[in-house]
Amino acid sequence: MPKEYEALVAALKLTSVPFAEYGWKTRPEGAYGVVSLEFEAGTLSGGDAKADRAWEGSVDLFYPKLSDRTDLIDEIEETLAEICGDAWELNSTQYETASGLFHVEWAFQCLDEPEADADADHDAV
Amino acid sequence: MPITMQYDGMKEISDMLKDMGGKAEAIASKGLYEGAGVMANEIKKQAGTIRTEDFHYTVFGTRLPSPEEKAVVEAAGVGIAKFAKNGSEVNTSVGYRNAGYAALAGKTKPIPQIINAINSGTSFMKKQPFVRQAAAAAKAPSESAIISAIQAQVDEMNKTTT
Repeated sequence: MPKEYEALVAALKLTSVPFAEYGWKTRPEGAYGVVSLEFEAGTLSGGDAKADRAWEGSVDLFYPKLSDRTDLIDEIEETLAEICGDAWELNSTQYETASGLFHVEWAFQCLDEPEADADADHDAV
Repeated sequence: MPITMQYDGMKEISDMLKDMGGKAEAIASKGLYEGAGVMANEIKKQAGTIRTEDFHYTVFGTRLPSPEEKAVVEAAGVGIAKFAKNGSEVNTSVGYRNAGYAALAGKTKPIPQIINAINSGTSFMKKQPFVRQAAAAAKAPSESAIISAIQAQVDEMNKTTT
């Protein structure tokens, strides 16, 4: 699990929006968020190993009141910028007529850097 | 769900096109078309990986799409938009924007709306971001396709002029 992703999950859970990973069993009242790590988006390989792995994921915000929009969106975008630098973007915004919820979706990328291998110099046969 | 992929500063392309004069734009467009085709094929392939469920037992949770919804996505055509030229740039987009309408459970719905619910998720549908996944998987192959198509045309033109 990329450390940057773990830091993002921890930071999002400190915001004023209740966040869960990968979804909620019971939909909360009011605004809520979901954060997910989804797939490997690109890898730098070298020396028969994956050197750096980029993972892509998304952050979803659902909120019922249009007046909540600015504060909540700013709070989440500040968190994304703090943890992911500029490797994130607003992916979509929509309104669900069935549930009456607004939905904003961001995509982000985070890097999984390998830990230094202490035995790397001794692997050759 | 716009996915933007920008190829610029590709030295191979600028080197190949610099001697092509007025034909450079047409050659670049042909290359872009080939690259967009690779992207469209990958989106179609990823659409086949969408998970479905026949029945949904949870009252409050999120559901997966039904097999009928997946069939609509798989049957929908992935389009390549008309090329837009802006100065030295040639732009296009790949996606389902003009995919039309489908009848589901007696209701007619816009196909892009069905696809967006699956790709981006909703408060009641679990997201499966197959378009973003396709964009990540196809980035390098589509870049190679653009370069190969331009190289082939430049080689052909050089052959006919010598």
